[in-house]
Amino acid sequence: MPSERWLPRGFLLLLAALLALAAWQWRNGPPVAADMLALLPAGSGDALVQQAEQRMQEPLNRDLLLLIGHPQRDQAIALAQQVGEQWRGSGRFAQVQWSVDSDLAALRDYLRSNRLALLPAADRQLLLEQPQQLIEQRAAQLFDTFAGFSLLPIEQDWLGLGVRAQQALNPGSRIQADLSSGALLLEEPGMTWALLRASAQGSAFDMQEPPLIAAQVAATRAQIETAGGQLLAAGGVLYAAAGQAKATREISLIGGGATLGTLLLLLLAFRRVRVLVSLLPIGMALLAGCTACVLVFGQINALTLVLGASLVGVAADYPQHYLSKSWSNTAGTDGWSSWGALRATLPGLSLSLGTNLIGYLALAFTPFPALTQVALFSAAGLIAAYLCSVCLLPAWLRGLQLSPSPQLLSFSQRLLTGRARLLGKVGSAPLLALLLLFCAGGLWQLHTQNDLRQWLGQEPELLAEAQRIAELTGQQPTSQFFLVRAANPQQLLERQAALSQRLDQAVQNGQLRDYRALSQLVAPDSQLQELRAALSELPQHWQPLLDLGIAPAAMQNELLELQQNNQASLEQALASPLGEAWRPLWLGAHADGVAGLVSLQGLSNSSELQPLVEGLPGVQLVDRISELNALFSATQLSAAELKLISSVAILLLLCLPFGLGGALRVVCLPLLAALAALACLGWLGQPLTLFSLFGLLLITAIGVDYAILMRENIGGPAVSLLGTLLSALTSWLSFGLLLISDTPAIANFGLAISLGLLFCFLLAPWAGTRQATANQAQMT
Amino acid sequence: MNSLHKLVARMQSGKRSPTLHRSRIASGLLLLLLLTPRTYAFDLDQLSAQLAKPAVVRGPLIQEKHLRALPQPLTSRGQFVLSRDLGLLWQLQSPLKQDYRIDSQGIAKRTPSGWQQQPGQDVAAQQSRLFLAVLKGDHSGLSKDFQLQLSGTAEAWQLRLVPNSLLLKQIFSRIQIDGGALVQRIELHETQGDHSVLRLPESQAGDALTEQEQRNFAQ
Repeated sequence: MPSERWLPRGFLLLLAALLALAAWQWRNGPPVAADMLALLPAGSGDALVQQAEQRMQEPLNRDLLLLIGHPQRDQAIALAQQVGEQWRGSGRFAQVQWSVDSDLAALRDYLRSNRLALLPAADRQLLLEQPQQLIEQRAAQLFDTFAGFSLLPIEQDWLGLGVRAQQALNPGSRIQADLSSGALLLEEPGMTWALLRASAQGSAFDMQEPPLIAAQVAATRAQIETAGGQLLAAGGVLYAAAGQAKATREISLIGGGATLGTLLLLLLAFRRVRVLVSLLPIGMALLAGCTACVLVFGQINALTLVLGASLVGVAADYPQHYLSKSWSNTAGTDGWSSWGALRATLPGLSLSLGTNLIGYLALAFTPFPALTQVALFSAAGLIAAYLCSVCLLPAWLRGLQLSPSPQLLSFSQRLLTGRARLLGKVGSAPLLALLLLFCAGGLWQLHTQNDLRQWLGQEPELLAEAQRIAELTGQQPTSQFFLVRAANPQQLLERQAALSQRLDQAVQNGQLRDYRALSQLVAPDSQLQELRAALSELPQHWQPLLDLGIAPAAMQNELLELQQNNQASLEQALASPLGEAWRPLWLGAHADGVAGLVSLQGLSNSSELQPLVEGLPGVQLVDRISELNALFSATQLSAAELKLISSVAILLLLCLPFGLGGALRVVCLPLLAALAALACLGWLGQPLTLFSLFGLLLITAIGVDYAILMRENIGGPAVSLLGTLLSALTSWLSFGLLLISDTPAIANFGLAISLGLLFCFLLAPWAGTRQATANQAQMT
Repeated sequence: MNSLHKLVARMQSGKRSPTLHRSRIASGLLLLLLLTPRTYAFDLDQLSAQLAKPAVVRGPLIQEKHLRALPQPLTSRGQFVLSRDLGLLWQLQSPLKQDYRIDSQGIAKRTPSGWQQQPGQDVAAQQSRLFLAVLKGDHSGLSKDFQLQLSGTAEAWQLRLVPNSLLLKQIFSRIQIDGGALVQRIELHETQGDHSVLRLPESQAGDALTEQEQRNFAQ
């Protein structure tokens, strides 16, 4: 037949094109991303909210924070310098900072002209309400040996407002610059920690950088420990590196394990080495899936690869359809022939592809980019595996004399006989009732659980170090923050100041440790006017300072300067040396006005934030984690709907060959299997998560294969059951191996599918027609 | 100016430092001395030893802040007690009443409810720590941060400290300490032109703390 000649050639051409495309995609290294969170749904907010989220996330992803500890202070400083220079020399980082060379002159100038605007809330209140006390405190301060170092010389700061403003510049931080070396230090009893900050070049989530950076951290750790010190490190890059290493390990374990298992299974069943070419569809599926993802999304996520590796089991099923027919043909006159067996099983094979595609594509309509990627990966992979099995493999298997293991066939036969005997005694209906009872019992115990933490594998060591660092530095940035919008910068400052008042209250109540707002750097005009009015009253109270011998004229001059100084605009303030810490909070101007953020530190309970926003115009709380957790729960409902829709689609497809009755029977079995799997989760005490639900979604698509195989009944029930068993075994191998994943989401997914497939196999024989059952009864 | 006293305190207890550090420090100081053209009859090691002799030093203190813009200095008076074991007790009595305690833990301020450790926030607290490191025998820190110049004899010596580091240079131009058997005067010159003088005119060496002093250190 001519098709037997051009099909393989055409396929090889296609393969060559695919390989060329893949090679081009990989020209700059693997296009694999490791950022698990990138696979979460985008926030529901508008462009500005997303810009804000990105702004808050960016430093978490790129920055690396090291604390280098040593019992001796100068050793800690020396080590930090040594490591800093090594790191700077490595060229791996855009920025490495371990010391400050503060330009005090510039700081002084800025502080001098802006001290009024920089006054902390408590000091503003003192000036407004108890000016007498402000003066008395200042007079005492001038005699105090340990009052502290002030940036402004005393004759420029008689009233001491500069000293007060200066203390606000580094709010709540325990990190101090060492005066002699400029090193940033944290002291605790018995240990001095020197701080080192580095920013990774470019994105932390490309595949190349994180492992190199993690290796550098490990080398640095060894170096510091040799010197008798201790290293703490935290940063998104390290999580990325750990996640990447884990993904690589899991992909090789799951993919390799499944492939090896399938290989052994094939050898055992068919006892011919050449049968191993039927592993080719697996490779094709992975290649096509990868290429399609990179083509559509520009890159492929490591999580997609892990989930996609489980496709191995499904892709290996296609050749089984016709290989397993060798059991029925061996006795025939012409024996088993590859093209002949393919022709006989092509309709069933195509139906399998159709139902699988429907199931996987249903995943694409969930709001989760992760599953959209998995859906595309799998759809492309399945089509490639199908084409490979249909076009190429029969040519390569041509002329092969299969001598499949007869023991397997008789085993399958015994299974069927056992089933027939059982049915003869009790009948189908009581068994069904029993199963339904089991299901009801399990569902009764099922509980749902959705949490963002399921996405993230646990990295206890990294987590412990990050917590220790947060403890030491007192910096615990929260993922929640406020987005404040306004018509112009002045209004923005007013609004942030209004919010700050409530936040000050929250800090006093211990709900919050600290916060950072733009209005701390630049006071809004209304606040300044109030302060200037209070300043003009000050001469009534300043006698204690005059008593020290300070000339009244000097005091008047200072007052005049404070009254008339033009305060820096928000943009000038941000550009000044003081503005660095506030710069990320300014989102700039956009079409409708301006926007800025207020970031939080050390939040005790995120649910207390929402009331703070009420009644404040333009202020919005952005809380991605709560939003995501809520979304997870909401998606469960839509996943259930999707499952229903995909079942209907499969039903319609199956009506073509089997008619409505047969199609219903074939579709109901995997649905029942999914229900039983759900009940099993309940009995096992495992929670139903969004991911197990997605797994169950897939079961309908994959499990329907087995029902189709049994329904088509090519070569008799025993042969069909054996084919189903081989299919199920390869699928279990791949999905079952997902259970070993460290990422709870993936393991949960694997558990749900493995359970579902087990029930699919057990229930598959009921898909057979009466006629087939009758035939089988005759045979026994 | 505040930290001068701590400096002195630290130098006095230099003797307690572990041998390892001492030798390293000594060699560092030795190098420093070799670099200067003259050979001193009285060297830094001897000064450290001399200042570390008494277990307790106590006496009145007078602090003068000389501000360019004021005709007369701002003068405070008080008492101090320096213990080899417990650190420094600094009691300002007029016009401001305020007690401080400086020891290896840092600087503490007396409040109605007892000693309150000051957070290591400002530069003053840091200075105290810097000098405290010296007190613990960490002399290498001192010679890294300052150029030390000692002149005179054991009965009348003068130690000049000039900061090396950029950050310190923006704060002090120099520190000068004068003394004999005990420290008598510390002068601190700020880069911005003001200077402070701490005088310890009638210090007495002693063997032990009085009960009252011990209580003061404790609470």
